[in-house]
Amino acid sequence: MDKKEKFLQKFESKIEKIIDKHERLYFNVKNEDFLEVVNHLINDLGCRLSTATGMETYHHVEVLYHFSHDESGQYFCPRVIMPDKNNPTMNSITQLVIGAEWIEREIHDFWGVNFIGHPRLEPLMIGDHPKGAERKNQFRFKRVEHE
Amino acid sequence: MNKNVIPVGPFHPLLEEAEYFTLTVDGETVVDIELDIGWMHRGHEFISEQKTFTQSIFLVERICGICSTSHPLALVHAIEDVDNIEIPERAAYIRTLIGELERIHSHLLWLGLAGHFIGYDTVWMWAWKYREPVLEMFEVISGNRNHYGMMRVGGVSKDVEPAKISELAKNLDMIQTKLEMIAKAVNDDPVLKSRLKGVGVLTKQAAIDFCAVGPTSRASGIPADVRKTDPKDAYGMVDFKVIVLQNGDVYDKLVLRVLETFESIKIVKQCLDKLAENNSPILNDIKEIKPGEGIGRYEAPRGEVFHYVRTDGTNRPIRHKVRAPSYVNIPTFQASCKGIPIADALITLAAVDPCYCCTERSLKFIDINHDPLKYDLLKISREKTESFRRQINGL
Repeated sequence: MDKKEKFLQKFESKIEKIIDKHERLYFNVKNEDFLEVVNHLINDLGCRLSTATGMETYHHVEVLYHFSHDESGQYFCPRVIMPDKNNPTMNSITQLVIGAEWIEREIHDFWGVNFIGHPRLEPLMIGDHPKGAERKNQFRFKRVEHE
Repeated sequence: MNKNVIPVGPFHPLLEEAEYFTLTVDGETVVDIELDIGWMHRGHEFISEQKTFTQSIFLVERICGICSTSHPLALVHAIEDVDNIEIPERAAYIRTLIGELERIHSHLLWLGLAGHFIGYDTVWMWAWKYREPVLEMFEVISGNRNHYGMMRVGGVSKDVEPAKISELAKNLDMIQTKLEMIAKAVNDDPVLKSRLKGVGVLTKQAAIDFCAVGPTSRASGIPADVRKTDPKDAYGMVDFKVIVLQNGDVYDKLVLRVLETFESIKIVKQCLDKLAENNSPILNDIKEIKPGEGIGRYEAPRGEVFHYVRTDGTNRPIRHKVRAPSYVNIPTFQASCKGIPIADALITLAAVDPCYCCTERSLKFIDINHDPLKYDLLKISREKTESFRRQINGL
């Protein structure tokens, strides 16, 4: 049993909407279980955070993290869905990996996500300009959602 | 304790692009460093979502002038990952050939700049002199010295003509001879050793904590290389070593890049041999990209370039995320610059080969009140300049 299968078995009850293709594993995880999953990916499996992607659809704001397992070339991508688009909030993973500090600040800048526990949730790229400005873009909002 | 602040940037002779570092110093020693990005206004991620997949490849080629094939390669890998698209074997070798030639010219560019930064202009002139034939090889293959326009979803756009392969191989032999000379000179040079050994050390643990990639992490003892761990194109079919050094200082980063150019030459030679004997098609005809999401990555000269695309079945992405290697390598300054003299700080900053235009690929301003002129780029630029002037003058 490889690490991916062990991972799926361990978190069977905590992850859903699993897409497993070409060594990439995408799955949804609830915010309350998110840190436990990330802790396992980093400290037990030895994954490296590549980056994270913020996104908005008609129904929610989501953040998709990309953890690379460099030994096997696999990707683990936990996705946190935030239905409250006016105040999207989730846990920060900076307490587990300091390398997440910039990308979480960037997502806060552009998508207005509040990361609980982030040591310094200040604007990274937008200076004094409005937070979540990207998220309010009407062009993006009109896009047809793909689930 | 009397602490002073030294601003480096946003416009500084060391930095070819605009970036702002604030060094807090106690006497001659750097005790803290503050990194401030967001000085360049680009918007590639947003523009890409308005372009077709083929147009986006040209767009991301212009994220960076040096990594001008790494971003397109990562993007086509991501699009091909959505639908598990295969490419012809000949196209795989051409992609790898172009990628490795880019690594050689990028590492020589950095070597020259590093020599220039420490006042050793002989290294600069040698490295750039022998980078020139690499650019000429690009011109022979693609017609361009930079921005080669070679990548396509399903293959490559241009073939390497068999008649030109012997000329390219001859050129490569000459470059290898000259690089051996440079490598020997660098290895024997007491000036470089005394100036760079033990300077700006990034420990293995710090490299792991900051998720560093590429030569920055490999010089600190982390054997991560996407070409080996997630081999795409012809990387699974060629023989090469991943160079890993242990000290994490500027000298190891220099030596590592020099050694990597020899591995790249080895790969390019294998690709040319294969291209001489193989005459298959170079592009599969891709009619559509199905809905889904895909991750593409490529080991650029500076480290892993990451692209993510999400598609809805149309001919353009609904989300395109780009992460350049400098985005994760630049924050390592917080670990490598503290406790070193001011004189060593700048070469330490340069040692990760930072690319600021790559780092700031995403920025775009949209006014929340739907007034597109309210936050136009010129106004933002003027406001930032004014705020910086006030900060410097203590107003």
